[in-house]
Amino acid sequence: MSALDLPLREQAAQIASGELDSGELLDACLARIEERNPDLNAVIATFPDRSREMLEKAPDGPLRGVPVLIKDEWPLPWRAETVGAASVPGVTLEPGESGPYRALRDAGAVIAGIANMHELGSSSTGNTSLYGAAHNPWDLERCPGGSSSGPAAAVSGGLVSGAVGADGLGSIRYPAAYCGLTGLKPTFGRSAMDGHHIVNTETIVSGPLCRDAADARLLASALFGEDLPAGQPSGLRIGVMRDPFWTDSAPGVREACETALESLRAEIDGEVVEVELPDLDLILPAALLVAQAEEAAHLVPEVLNGLSPELGLVNRGVLKLRALLPLSLTARAFRVRAKVRRDLAALFDGIDLLAWPAVPAVAPSLAEPMIELPSGVESADAGNARQGVLANLTGVPGVSVPVGLDDGMPAALQLLGAWGSDALLLDAAEALERATDREFVDLRPSDRKTAPLRSGGQSP
Amino acid sequence: MEGESAFQSYLNGALEIFGIKADEDERAVMMGVWSLYEPGMEALRDADLDGIEPELHPDLSKPPAQ
Repeated sequence: MSALDLPLREQAAQIASGELDSGELLDACLARIEERNPDLNAVIATFPDRSREMLEKAPDGPLRGVPVLIKDEWPLPWRAETVGAASVPGVTLEPGESGPYRALRDAGAVIAGIANMHELGSSSTGNTSLYGAAHNPWDLERCPGGSSSGPAAAVSGGLVSGAVGADGLGSIRYPAAYCGLTGLKPTFGRSAMDGHHIVNTETIVSGPLCRDAADARLLASALFGEDLPAGQPSGLRIGVMRDPFWTDSAPGVREACETALESLRAEIDGEVVEVELPDLDLILPAALLVAQAEEAAHLVPEVLNGLSPELGLVNRGVLKLRALLPLSLTARAFRVRAKVRRDLAALFDGIDLLAWPAVPAVAPSLAEPMIELPSGVESADAGNARQGVLANLTGVPGVSVPVGLDDGMPAALQLLGAWGSDALLLDAAEALERATDREFVDLRPSDRKTAPLRSGGQSP
Repeated sequence: MEGESAFQSYLNGALEIFGIKADEDERAVMMGVWSLYEPGMEALRDADLDGIEPELHPDLSKPPAQ
C-alpha cells in the first residue's frame, strides 16, 4: 500500500518518526494527482515549487510534511481564490495569507493544490464550476456534492488524506456524505476563516473532509488552533425528529441511518428520544436569506448588469433574483434565527445530539441532479438543504458520517450537537466507527466495482 | 400580459424599476428558482413572529443569551 493511502494521522506519525520521507510523500501525491485527476477533476491547480517550499519551511507541528488540499475559497500568498467562478460579483480577489492557509502552514501541513468547488458555492451538487464539474470517485457520472466538491472527490479518490472545505449552508456535509467521508462543520467561529471574500459571514465555516473521524479531528484541531481531545462518550441522549428528516429520506438511506443510529446507541449505552423543534418550515427560507444577506451589498445594478458571461446561467439568474427579494423577508429571517436558536438551545438542555440522514438520497447524476424521495421527485439541492441548514442558521456544529450504501453509493448519518460540542461529535463518530468495525469508513470507491453491493445499507 | 403570474409581474416591474437587465434565459431561471423558494418564503411572510426580536450582535459560537 502506498503511504498516500494511509490515514492523515498515520502519515504524520510516520514522518515524525522518520519512517516516512515527507519529500517522497509529496512527490507521490503530486504524481497521483497527475494520474487520477483527469477522471476526477478534483484539483484545479498545483504548484510543486510552492508546495516544496512549504515543506522545507514546515514547522514541527502535528501535520508536519503531510500533503493536503484546500478548497478554492481562500487566497494563498501566491494565488487568489476564484470560488469556482470566472468572477465573484462585486469583489476583487487577490493573493494573501488567509486564516486556513496560516492554520495549515503553522501545523506543518503542505498545501499540494487547490480543490475544485461548485461555482460561487451555490449548490449542494458540485455539477457546475468554471473548471468543469468534479466527479464522484464512486461513480464518475454522479455528483460529488457541493459546494466542497473537489475536497471530497480528492480525499475519496485517494489524492490526499485530508482537505479543507467550507460549509455555509451544508457545503462540507453534503459532499462528505456523497463521497463516503467524514466531514465536520465546526461550531461557528471556531475554525480559521479570515481572508474569505465574505468578510463578515454569519453562516460559513472552514472544516475538514477526511476518511474518518480521527483524521477529521486532527485536521480540525489545526484549523481551530487548539486540540480537540478525544473522549469516550457514554449515556448520551440522541434526539430524532422523524418528520421530515427521516420520513422523507429514500428508504435505503433511512434504513442505513436507522441501523447506524441503533449501533451508536448500543455502543455508547445511550438513549434515542423523539424530539420536536417548532417552525421547521421556516428554517430553510430563513437560512437562505440570512446567508445571502451577507453578499447583498454587492448586488447593485452596475454589478449585476456586468456579470461575466462565463458565469453559469443559474448563478446569473439567482444573483439577480436575490437583489429583488423583499427586505421584509430578510428582516423576518433574522427574527426566525433568534427564535430557532432559542428553541434549539432549550432542546439541547435535554439531549446531547440530534441525528438524521445527512442527505435524503445518495448522489444523483451530474447531468440531472434530481432525487426521488417519498414525497416525490425533487432537486437534490432542495432535499439536501432541508437536512443541512439548521447548523448554519444557528451556529451549532454538525458532522456527516458514512453509515452504509444505497444503490452502491455512500449514505451518511448527520449528527448535530450544541454549540462548542465539536469534540463530542467526533467522539460519537468514532464510537459509530467502532460499533460498525469501521466497515463504512474503510470502504473505498474501488470496492464498488469489485464487490457489487445491494441496496438497503448493507454490504453483502 | 395575459397569463402572467403575480411573481412574473413583480419580476418584470422590479427589474425595470431597479435597472437590472435580464435576458429570457435568466428570467426563466429566476422564475424556476422562485417556484422552489415560494412555499418557504410565503411561510416566512405569514409566520406569527410578534414579540420576537432579532438578536443584537449575537455570538453565534454560543447559545443565545438568556
